[in-house]
Amino acid sequence: MRTDEELMLLFREGSREAFEELFARHHRAVVRFAWRMTGDPATAEEAAQEIFLRIARAAPSYRPTAKFTTWMYTIARRSTLNYLRDTEEEGEKVPILQEGEAEDGVYPVHLPGPEDRNPERMVWEAQLADRFRAALGELPEAYRAAFVLNRGDGLSYDEVAQVLGITVQAVKTRIFRAREMLLSRLSKDVSG
Amino acid sequence: MGCRDIRETISAFVDGEASPEEAGAVREHLASCERCRVLERQMRAVGAGVRQIRGTVPDRLRETVFARLEAEGALPPPMPAHARSWRWAAAPLAAAALGLFLLTSGDAIRKASVPGPPTAVFLTTEDRETIALLDVLEDTATFDADGESEGMDLLAPGDSAEPPAPTRGARSGA
Repeated sequence: MRTDEELMLLFREGSREAFEELFARHHRAVVRFAWRMTGDPATAEEAAQEIFLRIARAAPSYRPTAKFTTWMYTIARRSTLNYLRDTEEEGEKVPILQEGEAEDGVYPVHLPGPEDRNPERMVWEAQLADRFRAALGELPEAYRAAFVLNRGDGLSYDEVAQVLGITVQAVKTRIFRAREMLLSRLSKDVSG
Repeated sequence: MGCRDIRETISAFVDGEASPEEAGAVREHLASCERCRVLERQMRAVGAGVRQIRGTVPDRLRETVFARLEAEGALPPPMPAHARSWRWAAAPLAAAALGLFLLTSGDAIRKASVPGPPTAVFLTTEDRETIALLDVLEDTATFDADGESEGMDLLAPGDSAEPPAPTRGARSGA
């Protein structure tokens, strides 16, 4: 099976089939990423279209110096950022460490986690999923992007750093801040 | 190291991104701190939460993307039906032509196997086309996209050349 990078080079040389294969491989991941970043199905669809259009347009200048997926997510993030800038104000929407955080750093909320062996508790109820989606949407875009790329799409800290153009240490901090804000927001939902 | 100082490292630890030294420090801290053990579980939980948001692929995403790309000339058009038909008709035709060539050349081959004056083998235009076709067919990657061959029966002129929708699964998010 050809690698993504080989397919991209074939597409650059004019192979429609290569682009069809790339689309088949990655369109679900692109839609998921756009959905998680925008929180809105219609916007996610528009962003997903834009991402593939940009990939195709950028093909002539594509060089396989990095993993295709890293390059793809760089385009994806920039595309979703454009849509977000159109619809919301820039800047942090949730201050760091609001009153929802307990002094000892433990948040009054129970979340089923991957370590939980009880199948019933592994299931995120619809209500909790909605609250989580809302909380994710209130994160500053820079934190949300780092968190979604790592936890949602499985990119390593190093890959996230490449996509966002920041240091690995900055990725580490952003993901930690994202976690703090999510827990703070979800705790407020529970207590308030 | 105090709780506040180690929380960021716990976050990296649950992501599998802490260095061996950092991971050792986290384990040591967690062994003696119930509060941070709870926090560690919560940190894992919010990581799992983001993967619950999956969205759905819009019905016409592929058609829309490809139509827009074709409209702006960024994507080569689909292969015409008659070209696709010819390519797949080429395989049996090439085999038949090759068999005919070998049959008619049998006498020359037998003569060439015994000592004697060298015999020149002249290739007709049809022979050359046959060989060229075999070369093309050998490189199936040039036109045989995954999952496409099932729909590659001979197409009559005018049949739709639209390839079937891709069926391969996308890269799964971790």
